[in-house]
Amino acid sequence: MNNILVPNRRTALKMLGGGAAALAMPAVIRPTPGWAANGVLNITTYDKFLPQEFLDKFQKDTGIQVNIRLTDDQGKQYNLLTAEGANPSTDIVTVAGHRYSQFIASKLLQPLDTGKIPNWKNLNTAYQDAPWARVDNNLWGLPILAGYEGLARNVDYVKEAPSWEIMFDPQYKGQTSYIVSDFMTIVMQYLGHDGDFVSYVDKPDVAQKATNEARDFLIKHKDMVRKYYDAGSEVQQMFINEDIYLGHSWSGPAAKLIMDGHPIQLSVPKEGTFGFCYTLNVVNNAPNAENAYKLLDAVLASPEVGAAMTRQSGYSSTINGVGDLLNDREKLASTLPQEELERIVFFSSVNRDMKNEMIDRATAEVKAA
Amino acid sequence: MVSSNTTAGYGAGHDASVPKYSTGIAKVVNSALYRHTLGAAVESRIGRIILLAGVPLIWLIMLHVGPIYQMLKISLLSHYPVQPGVESNFTLDNYAIFFRESLYFTPLIKSFIFATAATAVTLVVVYPVAYYVAKIVKPEGRSKALLLLLVPFWAGELIRTFSVIMLLANRGAVNVLLREIGLIDRPIPMLYTSFSLGFGLVYLICLYMLLPLYSAIEKIPSQYLDAAADLGAGPFTRFRRIILPLSKDGIVSGCSLVFLTCIGVFATPMLLGGPTTVLFPETISGFFHGASDKWPVGAAFALIMLVTALITAGIFMRLVGGKKRSAF
Repeated sequence: MNNILVPNRRTALKMLGGGAAALAMPAVIRPTPGWAANGVLNITTYDKFLPQEFLDKFQKDTGIQVNIRLTDDQGKQYNLLTAEGANPSTDIVTVAGHRYSQFIASKLLQPLDTGKIPNWKNLNTAYQDAPWARVDNNLWGLPILAGYEGLARNVDYVKEAPSWEIMFDPQYKGQTSYIVSDFMTIVMQYLGHDGDFVSYVDKPDVAQKATNEARDFLIKHKDMVRKYYDAGSEVQQMFINEDIYLGHSWSGPAAKLIMDGHPIQLSVPKEGTFGFCYTLNVVNNAPNAENAYKLLDAVLASPEVGAAMTRQSGYSSTINGVGDLLNDREKLASTLPQEELERIVFFSSVNRDMKNEMIDRATAEVKAA
Repeated sequence: MVSSNTTAGYGAGHDASVPKYSTGIAKVVNSALYRHTLGAAVESRIGRIILLAGVPLIWLIMLHVGPIYQMLKISLLSHYPVQPGVESNFTLDNYAIFFRESLYFTPLIKSFIFATAATAVTLVVVYPVAYYVAKIVKPEGRSKALLLLLVPFWAGELIRTFSVIMLLANRGAVNVLLREIGLIDRPIPMLYTSFSLGFGLVYLICLYMLLPLYSAIEKIPSQYLDAAADLGAGPFTRFRRIILPLSKDGIVSGCSLVFLTCIGVFATPMLLGGPTTVLFPETISGFFHGASDKWPVGAAFALIMLVTALITAGIFMRLVGGKKRSAF
């Protein structure tokens, strides 16, 4: 004990050596970083988007080791990729429609070369060259799953929900939930404004006035809300626990509840809503871009892959032939009546900066109010 | 014990008391580089202590001071992460935003009020438990009692938070029980309220209060209490005049730890809180997750929170802890 407290030269050297070795150990035992090795593919995606069976088969067939980094937020993914700059540690990212143009404008993605994807023909024609997907005369990603922002309700307690107005009906006070930033654009639509800001190019005053109106409306009806949520799993949990009866929800999480047999119904109210696609995108300067293209091609190779994606995530697959593989409940959960389908407008890539700036600030104001 | 032969030469030809080294090590310790650097440093006691303290110091700097320095650096930039074609300059505007807009001031005040209330409640709840374990439980059973109290903390913070959700949800254990015994017809909305957040937070952080309190109370000699009782002091007087002042160190340490943890807690308010319990960490996280390039603002706000929390804890320790010397 005394030797340790007042060390002699030899003890001091031993302890110093031991301490230095312990500090250096993580660097010594750390394996070669995945992103720097050959024969690997690094993908940033959401939980349950890429089925494990598909990944196992891909790895077995190609010998490429796939490393998955899960994300639950587009902002996190965007910020990490931006921070990594010209040396990204991921080859493929999963971009949601409302962030598509932001990733492209920030030069985080490389244009998609569909010539390197022989199975491109298996993609539903509606998505092969969709207007929202083509930016600067290029396609930038492979659409894998399609969804929309819907009105989910527990049918045991809420029989009909034809309008977004029901989210502000006093009889459901404290029984609704939404993601503030997403729902604010819906409320702008509900109040008769342009929630996607497309018509507000060069009209910041008009856009600000419309945003403020939606913000004030949400603050006024704050007592209707049980909780502001962030992740799809949260709204699922609230519906299962019957903490809420109504909620603004991305179609995937709500459809998954329907597939699992919960008394949930998803609809698009008469005021309309926004649709989006999740795309798999090859990152600019991706260290394993060729392997990334092999995976994109493998995704399109079989409708089984698309069906598994739909079953796991709840979103609709963009791959041909998937509908034939789903059972009745799965089809019911992931499809809408034609009348409601027509109310969906896909997020545009126009005027995103103005929209992000104003919505982010208004969101903070609603939460702080 | 300090070696008496450390100033002797190394290698061949040394006297019998000088340590013998194998050829390889002898080569190193006889080299000029070693003798003039590490060798010279370990010759003196002070040098050895500095060298040994240096290793944990480097560790602390790398893991604790390093991230805070990085945060400070980012907070003084106009843009971060820097996008292609954008230049990032030095600016103090990220700090000015906080003082310019009340929008961001409100959640900080809310956080302070909430952390203060949570600290007070934790103290009131945990103090009797700590006293029971330290003074009522027999000495041979104290380790077991402490171990039992620590069992829930073997699980991670998130798992314990989800257990609170399972307890307080509309279809959670409490509501189901109340309904089963006929006390309620409809579930009581307990989750996503100030109550659920406070309940969850006190449960999650009570360990930080328990251990300092136990340590302080356990040291109070039982003879003091016996003597006071013999002199006619009632239970409340004994508590007020002896136990409370002598456990002040534990109260100050526990309250400081709990307050500093509460003020920066992030996941728990996100999972248990409702629309009216948005605290400052959530506001900060919005800058990191948001669509815009706002990391510098988030970093500046995080530092503002860190500094104000440390100042508050420092004032508390000074006001409450500092009186000890004059009182005793």
